[in-house]
Amino acid sequence: MKTMITAALAATFLLGVSLPALAVDRGGTLAYGRYADSLFLEPVLNDGNVDIWVLSNIYDTLILPTDDGQGLKPGLATDWKLADDGLSVTLTLRDGIKFSDGSPITVDDVKWSLERAAKPDNGIWQFLVDSIDSVSTQGDKTVIIKLKHPDPAILSALTVFNTSIMPEKLFEAAPGATDADKAKAFAEHPVGSGPFMFQSWDKGSDMKLVKNPYYWDKGEDGQPLPYLDGVDFQVIPDDATRILKLQSGELQGAEFIPYSRVDELKADSRLNMELFPSTRVEYVTLNVRPQLDGKDNPLSNEKVREALNYATNKQAIIQIVTHNVGTEMTSFMSKATPLHTGDTPLFSYDLAKAKQLIADAGFPNGFELNLLTLAGNQDEVGIGTALQQMWQAIGVKLNLQQVDNATRTDQYRNGTFQMRLAAWTDDIADPNEIASYFAYSPTIDAIHSGWKNDEVDKLFVQSQSEIDPTKRAAEYARIQEIFNATGPIVPLYETPYPVALAKNVNGFNQIPLGNNIFRAAWLAK
Amino acid sequence: MPLLSYIFRRVLQLIPTFIFILVVVFLLVHLLPGDPASAMLGDRALDADVARIKHDLGLDQPLPIQFLYFARQVASGDLGTSISLKAPVATIIAQRLPVTLLLTVMAALIALLLAVPLAFLAALRRDKVSDATIRGAFQIGLSMPVFYLGLVLLTVFAAVLHWFPVGGYGETFLDHVYHLILPALTLALSLAAVLMRNLRAAIIGVLGAEYVDFARAKGLKARLILFRHVLRNALISTVTLFGLSVGTLLGGAVITETVFAVPGAGRLMIDSIYGRDYPMVQGLTLALAVFVSLTFLLTDIVQAWLDPRVAR
Repeated sequence: MKTMITAALAATFLLGVSLPALAVDRGGTLAYGRYADSLFLEPVLNDGNVDIWVLSNIYDTLILPTDDGQGLKPGLATDWKLADDGLSVTLTLRDGIKFSDGSPITVDDVKWSLERAAKPDNGIWQFLVDSIDSVSTQGDKTVIIKLKHPDPAILSALTVFNTSIMPEKLFEAAPGATDADKAKAFAEHPVGSGPFMFQSWDKGSDMKLVKNPYYWDKGEDGQPLPYLDGVDFQVIPDDATRILKLQSGELQGAEFIPYSRVDELKADSRLNMELFPSTRVEYVTLNVRPQLDGKDNPLSNEKVREALNYATNKQAIIQIVTHNVGTEMTSFMSKATPLHTGDTPLFSYDLAKAKQLIADAGFPNGFELNLLTLAGNQDEVGIGTALQQMWQAIGVKLNLQQVDNATRTDQYRNGTFQMRLAAWTDDIADPNEIASYFAYSPTIDAIHSGWKNDEVDKLFVQSQSEIDPTKRAAEYARIQEIFNATGPIVPLYETPYPVALAKNVNGFNQIPLGNNIFRAAWLAK
Repeated sequence: MPLLSYIFRRVLQLIPTFIFILVVVFLLVHLLPGDPASAMLGDRALDADVARIKHDLGLDQPLPIQFLYFARQVASGDLGTSISLKAPVATIIAQRLPVTLLLTVMAALIALLLAVPLAFLAALRRDKVSDATIRGAFQIGLSMPVFYLGLVLLTVFAAVLHWFPVGGYGETFLDHVYHLILPALTLALSLAAVLMRNLRAAIIGVLGAEYVDFARAKGLKARLILFRHVLRNALISTVTLFGLSVGTLLGGAVITETVFAVPGAGRLMIDSIYGRDYPMVQGLTLALAVFVSLTFLLTDIVQAWLDPRVAR
């Protein structure tokens, strides 16, 4: 009996020990196909997504976003506390953190990095941390951020790329007289504390990152992250070529798969066609100023805007243009944006109502409108053509003007456009950025449309200092209610990020803000 | 020597050409709607940010002043700093232009290798099956758009057969050549078609010329006749055509570089125009103008050597 029990125990013990602890495989380089190259790998002074989405692999922030992009988890800081009056945040730095060159990350690096990001006129992202007044340190583990006013978004701001912690001494030692000059020199060989470190960059072609041996986070197997030896970003601007390269096995991942090929790749047994939830929204921006080019502008009439909305069959556009990859918008902000409210699609297709509204507005014979679209862009041409046909039914003649991006941006910023197609993704997991650009008129005249609502402006200002979550949610609910009903847009659809991955790729994540996270990615052998 | 003085005269003529090109490009690119600051910052640009960047770049100055700064800069050998890429224009051109030049040279060589022998064959076997087949095959190559042809070649020879990599540029020089074979072939096919037709017609013309009859009557061997008399004379018009086609090759390089993900100057030019990167567009246009002018010059020299009457 005793022998049997011993044998049974021994067998169970052996079985437990011989089972693999976890299925994670280490090693290998993941080749990832991008549609465009980064331009400036600088957390504070970069200008766009092509840089932002890669920065989180080289740099680290105090707080990290959770995998769904909406919550917070410890990064370089292990804990944080918002003061009761909301005027300061105290953070504790993690033990033993180092930059990828082996030098320790100190509280001084943190202070310097945050103050640099918050300096007025330093980069276009400064507004995300504008509430920071000063940063002080206590001992070698504590950082205290003093705020100019209570900022409900400050913790989310500390997960954003422009608050990446950079090595002060290395940066200041870079050649150059001004911060901008030093930044240019430093960005040629950036040093951060993210899971990967910069190795080489053939501009326009190939950027190689390798594993950072000093990275602080551990994997499921108890060993340091990342699992990969490196990431190789290859620039393949042509969609068809990028997909071909993935299918032939030369790439293990490819971003921005055209919607028209999503179904085909879903059926491809070599690939996993992922659709990551995103904050991306696509819409028509309407110039609502009373006069345009010396003539009366029909779009200044709210009933006209409603009529255009009801005359737009969003489901049809989602089908034709996004091949059913997109979904209808239930608010001007995406469902993945915090404090989003609304669960019914905005302005469901109703042609009869649209016709009635046009007549009520005083345009029984219709009118002409001009829409700026991006020349050669398949999606925009598709949307434009569909809108032409749909709006014909209510007597609106839509002229499509195909221009290049810089021309359109120029007209847009000058407010001389009549209508344009546009898309937006959030840069922070908080609704204040999109609300500031779309609804709060002092920022950019409500997406350069000239729309203004005093109640919305007041609510926005209030919400920027509102640290009671319930009150803030109510303020945003009301802002959305007003904007969705009377705002200067025709919402079209939300689309996820379409990324195709080789079957052996695991653990890759693209958060709703767009950042490509390779931290926990691994290649199955 | 008449040839040397001819070369010297032609080189001197280039200088006013370059100045003219510089002025025209400066005006064209600055008169386009939009500006680098808004193009760079995109739709989210705040007025304050755009104004600040425009000021830093000197773009809020009147146009003539901007041109004077630019002219002074170029005269001192400085092509400026790229607004989008934040690096010296000269450095970037030095990285990207050789790629396109290698692609163009390879395409030109492949085009010649295909066109010359096949043109001879087609001319000598005029109106027979081989002539019709050659002309037909080239016609197909000529009618297919470059991006479509490129994609077909990529799919068949790279993705399926794995004889070549799917796009990209590689690391070492030999690697570069290997990666550029398919894109060069794509570019070469339409040029080869045009060259082949032209050369075939020229050869047929020359074969019927009196001096060829005279050479035969003299008893010269057929091969000697072909190379010394027929080819040399037939090549004259084809060489001119070839030189003029270099511009088309460079233009086709843009699409080919995009389809094959080759980091060349063609793509750089397109991106720079879209981004209103004035220094980059100006510097790159100048570099390309120098290259094309030198090609014309070389073509003219080869022509003068082939046909001594030209140099007088």
